[in-house]
Amino acid sequence: MRRRAPVVSLIAVLLLVITACATDDSGGSTTEAPGTTGPSTTGAPGTTEAPSTTAGGPSGEPIVVGGTLALTGGLGPTGVIHQIAGQLFVDRLNASTGLLGQPVEWNLVDDASDGARIAELYEQLISQDQVDLIIGPYATPNILAAMPVAERHGYVLPQHTSVLAPAMTYACQFPGWSIGPEPNVFIPNQLADALDSLGGSVSTVGLVTNEGGSTSFVSYGPADNDEVQATDTILPERGYEIVADISYPIGNTEWGSVATELQDADPDIVVINGLGLEANGLIEAMDQLGFDPPMVFALFPAPGAVLSLGDLTDGVLSVSIFEPNESILAEMDPEAREITEEFSARVEEAGLPYTAFETQAAASWNTWEILTQGVEGAGSLDQQAICDYLHENGADLTFSGHVDFDPEVNNFWPTTQVLKQVQGGDWVVVWPEDSAASPLQGPAG
Amino acid sequence: MRRDRGWIALAAIGVGLFLVPVLWEVTDFAVFYLVFLSGILFWVAQATSWNILSGYSGYFSFGQGAFYGVGVYTMAVLFGRHGWNWLLVILIGGVLAMLLGLGIGALAFRLSSLKGEIFALLTLAFPFILAGIVRLFDAIDGGQGVVVPVPSFPELLAPFQKFYFVLSSVVALLALTVAYLMHRTRYGWALFAIRDDEAAAEGLGVPTFFHKMIAIGANGLIGGLSGAVVALNLGFVSVEGTFNLTVPLFVIVMSVLGSRNHWAGPLLGAVYIHTLQNRLAAGGFEGWSLIVLGVILVVLMLLAPEGLMARFTRRPALAGGVFVGVIATLGLLRVWGDPVSWLAAALGAVVVVAFLPGGRTAEKRSEETSVGRGASVVLGEDLPAPLLKVGRPIVVAADVAKDFGGVHALRGVSMTVAEGELVGLVGPNGSGKTTLVNLISGALTPTSGVIELDGTESSALPPHRIAHLGIARTYQIPRPFTSLTVRDNVAVAIMFGREPRRLDASRQAAGEYLNLVGLGGLAEALPGQVNLHERQLLEMARAMATKPALLLLDEAMAGLNPVEIDNAVEVVRRIRASGVSIVLVEHLLRVVNQLSTRIVVLDQGLVLAEGDPGVVMKDPAVVKAYLGRQTDAPGD
Amino acid sequence: MSELQAAIFGALGGSLFGLMALGLSMGWGFLKNINLAHFAMILLGGYLTVDLATNLGMSPVATIVITAPLMFLIGALVQAGFERFDVSEFNSLLISYGLLIITVQVVTNIWTADYQRMAPEVNPLAAESVRIGPFVFPAPTLLAAGFAVGLVVLAQFVLEKTYAGRALQAFGQDRQIASAFGIDHRMLGVLLAGASGASAAIAGMLIAVGEPLIPFSPFDWIGRVFAIVILGGIGNVQGTLYAGLLVGAVSGVVALAWGPSASPLVVFSLVVLALVFRPQGLFPRKAGH
Repeated sequence: MRRRAPVVSLIAVLLLVITACATDDSGGSTTEAPGTTGPSTTGAPGTTEAPSTTAGGPSGEPIVVGGTLALTGGLGPTGVIHQIAGQLFVDRLNASTGLLGQPVEWNLVDDASDGARIAELYEQLISQDQVDLIIGPYATPNILAAMPVAERHGYVLPQHTSVLAPAMTYACQFPGWSIGPEPNVFIPNQLADALDSLGGSVSTVGLVTNEGGSTSFVSYGPADNDEVQATDTILPERGYEIVADISYPIGNTEWGSVATELQDADPDIVVINGLGLEANGLIEAMDQLGFDPPMVFALFPAPGAVLSLGDLTDGVLSVSIFEPNESILAEMDPEAREITEEFSARVEEAGLPYTAFETQAAASWNTWEILTQGVEGAGSLDQQAICDYLHENGADLTFSGHVDFDPEVNNFWPTTQVLKQVQGGDWVVVWPEDSAASPLQGPAG
Repeated sequence: MRRDRGWIALAAIGVGLFLVPVLWEVTDFAVFYLVFLSGILFWVAQATSWNILSGYSGYFSFGQGAFYGVGVYTMAVLFGRHGWNWLLVILIGGVLAMLLGLGIGALAFRLSSLKGEIFALLTLAFPFILAGIVRLFDAIDGGQGVVVPVPSFPELLAPFQKFYFVLSSVVALLALTVAYLMHRTRYGWALFAIRDDEAAAEGLGVPTFFHKMIAIGANGLIGGLSGAVVALNLGFVSVEGTFNLTVPLFVIVMSVLGSRNHWAGPLLGAVYIHTLQNRLAAGGFEGWSLIVLGVILVVLMLLAPEGLMARFTRRPALAGGVFVGVIATLGLLRVWGDPVSWLAAALGAVVVVAFLPGGRTAEKRSEETSVGRGASVVLGEDLPAPLLKVGRPIVVAADVAKDFGGVHALRGVSMTVAEGELVGLVGPNGSGKTTLVNLISGALTPTSGVIELDGTESSALPPHRIAHLGIARTYQIPRPFTSLTVRDNVAVAIMFGREPRRLDASRQAAGEYLNLVGLGGLAEALPGQVNLHERQLLEMARAMATKPALLLLDEAMAGLNPVEIDNAVEVVRRIRASGVSIVLVEHLLRVVNQLSTRIVVLDQGLVLAEGDPGVVMKDPAVVKAYLGRQTDAPGD
Repeated sequence: MSELQAAIFGALGGSLFGLMALGLSMGWGFLKNINLAHFAMILLGGYLTVDLATNLGMSPVATIVITAPLMFLIGALVQAGFERFDVSEFNSLLISYGLLIITVQVVTNIWTADYQRMAPEVNPLAAESVRIGPFVFPAPTLLAAGFAVGLVVLAQFVLEKTYAGRALQAFGQDRQIASAFGIDHRMLGVLLAGASGASAAIAGMLIAVGEPLIPFSPFDWIGRVFAIVILGGIGNVQGTLYAGLLVGAVSGVVALAWGPSASPLVVFSLVVLALVFRPQGLFPRKAGH
């Protein structure tokens, strides 16, 4: 029994060494985005490095912004994008004026996609680490878990990915991504507008929905209230018959069955109100079946996921609040272009497959801008003052223009959402026409 | 005997938990610590309730997520959606989860095939099934998730974090109290016996089904209460967030890490894992968290497979002292970290200390308290005469047959055993002797024929009821409860015997039976430390402790040397002298001759001959049956 | 007709899960280990396939030439560790869980938490399918079924016709007696674990061919794989394959008829029923098991 201990210790050391080497040798581990420190041995809360102050730059005690993100676990793939975007923002801020003249530190904690830990981690950031400001986590369920904690302590909660307006009841919650107060009404109407412009070549719809929070809400409205309009009622009203109505759980693998059912129904457009890689799964299954629907719409795919399927996904539609299309960038501040290019460089260095600065990253940028503008506008770190300032003045967002926050609609500003389409292997904005970088392409074949 | 000091620890925990919010009001430390402790308390409740079933009884469950989920969704739907009173809903959540547990138990425990890994896999299915049901019904969830608003609670308990802490403490304390009480009473000991050897326990009179149902009921109740409470803190509840593998896996990790045998084992595991996870998340271990956690798990499981508590109890004073010392030092110096870091450091220090060589292992402790062992066991005083009538038939078997698939083990055996008899049951291998013993003791039911025990037909009775009718048996290969001491093995039999007593009284009374068979000096040893002969004697003592009318001795002398055989014979005589009737299954014909009042010879499932030993053994048919098939057994 | 097509989709997908379940079931049945590290090896195998195919230009299927021996070694080492430390059945669950999360973190650190997928040029199979009559058989899962059948046939042959295989069966039935007969269970166990590891590498390659991978993927696989292990009967080689096909087909048809949400519900209810009525598994073991 005693002889075990040396062997076991040896194994433990070996394991640690192996994994340490694996970590260090990696070309660019995603969790080590430039500017972050490695493992801390003193147990102090993980912080990001405040760069050495340059003359004329921010100086003094750093202002600490606390928050969690899903850096590992099921939500990891998109969480890391927000990490890189946020880090870029902080670095640029520190390279220029800082916040209230002081440098900013981002105390970022990995919540491992576990909603049950969110409350404790935010409590820790707020009441133990005593961060000056907070910023929300990734994905709607986690944001909903953080909200009561923020409310309890009276902290302003800027968040970048929950569009589920009716649920976001905290008055000092500010969304970086808004599809308006009624995404369940806006999205189907926007889509119907776009389809109308195709002059009747599309008339039937196959509706496929992820049963989770925001996507299901967009398709059906709230689960316990049939009165509320949503995709399933609005599209038919607009003249688009729903010939297949399928919903699936998160983690679904039965794309073959869904594709088979769709093939039988043969709709002109398949509307996939799903997340992440789900649209990929379905598109591939349909392709294997030999079923090629004239049009496909995917609501919230993971950035770049749809593009990775090559030619197969030409013409797929989705929603966006920003795409770095040339014609769009040309009309914006040169700063916008700078940001997108720097972001792409960092993402590539980190080894992520898709490098464009698109809707998720833009949402993150919006959120940080809301936070910092609120602080600058209030002139202090007083949460109530920040909240009041934002309510009274709104914010000026690089990628979404000026937005106002009306507490009556839970601060969800009138959306600037556009429709994008895969053309020539890239996402381009196609609708509304006055924002489009390229015209909407109709049904293939 | 060890004096039980566990209740002091439990009381201390209770008092401590009560004082925490008071302390907070007074010193105003960061409210985060209330939340952090609440997190630990949640896991304490879940892991402890899991351990009551799986650790104590050995019925490993992968289904803790089902109980947790029932609690969470009860709160989400009844309170979150419909606004019922939160206190009432917590209780409903617990009761519903308990009913689920009892349902699973009723399903699984009735079928003897559902043990071990099969039971574990059965329980694994339930969280997935519940997830599916919850998703299916919009009235419950429908997939979108349910918002759980903050409840209104009495001003006294404000703010929310304190309120939640109090609720968490209550549930955790309930869990610990139940686990502790079970550990100290027959409810827990039945489970330990079941874990070590369920069939043997049943044969000693432990109502195994009943106690397993209690265990799973407690597991469900506490898991559900805890889930309902935590839903108040989650704010938003979703199917994927509730019914994933986190809860089922982590309760196992915490309980096994802490020690499954101890009521406070899961508590220890919960403290360690939760603190570790918190430090890994908040300590900037980006890219390392899971690695560190994984390595620690692997190393600790290899070094301490029986759990940390088992290690700490070797040198409790040192462990406790180091823990308090490290925290106090870091707290007073205040140069490094924060309270959670100090806690983590103290826990780490205790682990290092615990793995230093030395200390009092369980083996050493039992060795210390055992009197020196001589070459033979020492028989004590005779027992007083027992409570039996004279001469009536105890066992009446009428044309009993037993088939196993195509094998006819018994083809129609009729025999009687009356009070005061010592019946030798002999016959060549395969003649059906052990099968007959199993039938009489109730381990098997006859394919046809009737067995009456003390006038009652026995085929419908579970073995523990047959034990209470006064039938006891030993096993050819001894089946002691390996994790209990010799004394406790006998104590269990007393606790569940025909005159049940409580734990301490049973331990006391066990001494008499140990003296009867001569094991008095080995009372504190573990069965693994004694030799075969001693284990066989333990079998006899344990069986005797149920105060049987009839004792079935199944080849109790197998594998013994001549000296031991003589000793065993003497013990059997003493047992008989105490008024217990005996059926002695034996190959050693000289022993049978020495002891029996009557012999029954079985051959190929039928009674070949019976009567006076001297007469029967000369019967030509009997001689032919023996010599024609085998030589005399060794040792004869 | 659609039902049949859905059943085909499902059954082929299920064969891949059956292949994943094979190694786990063998280890549990013969070695009395619940080895969650098996999922770690599948994950690693998949990521290595993506990496090798993308960076070295190998055909994805060909990558198993490298990954299978590597996972064989890892599997064997883990088993040797279990033997050396005399790890009990349920303790092996914890230790292998530790190894699994270590692997998940290492994979995250090397390949990022984002999804990884071979580009169409690297992996042309992903988009192809075979048509037989009116029915479609997607290439990735058809390939998986082929490998699954092949491995099961191979495993069956080894178990029944070779000394090592029969020794393993004996060992699985009664360790002590088998050891008494001089069967070197340690070496056998290590070889079996190595073979399981190799099968994991193959399963990982097949997954990588068919879908994107994220480090967290193993936790999505565990439920279904365990369901197949149960239904197939622990340690029953052929049964595991049949169970995979059955679970897949049922899942697919139910998804078509009642919606994909109903599939897990039906599958796991089946598991409960099967355990109650046939705890040894739905499929009979061949004589000698």
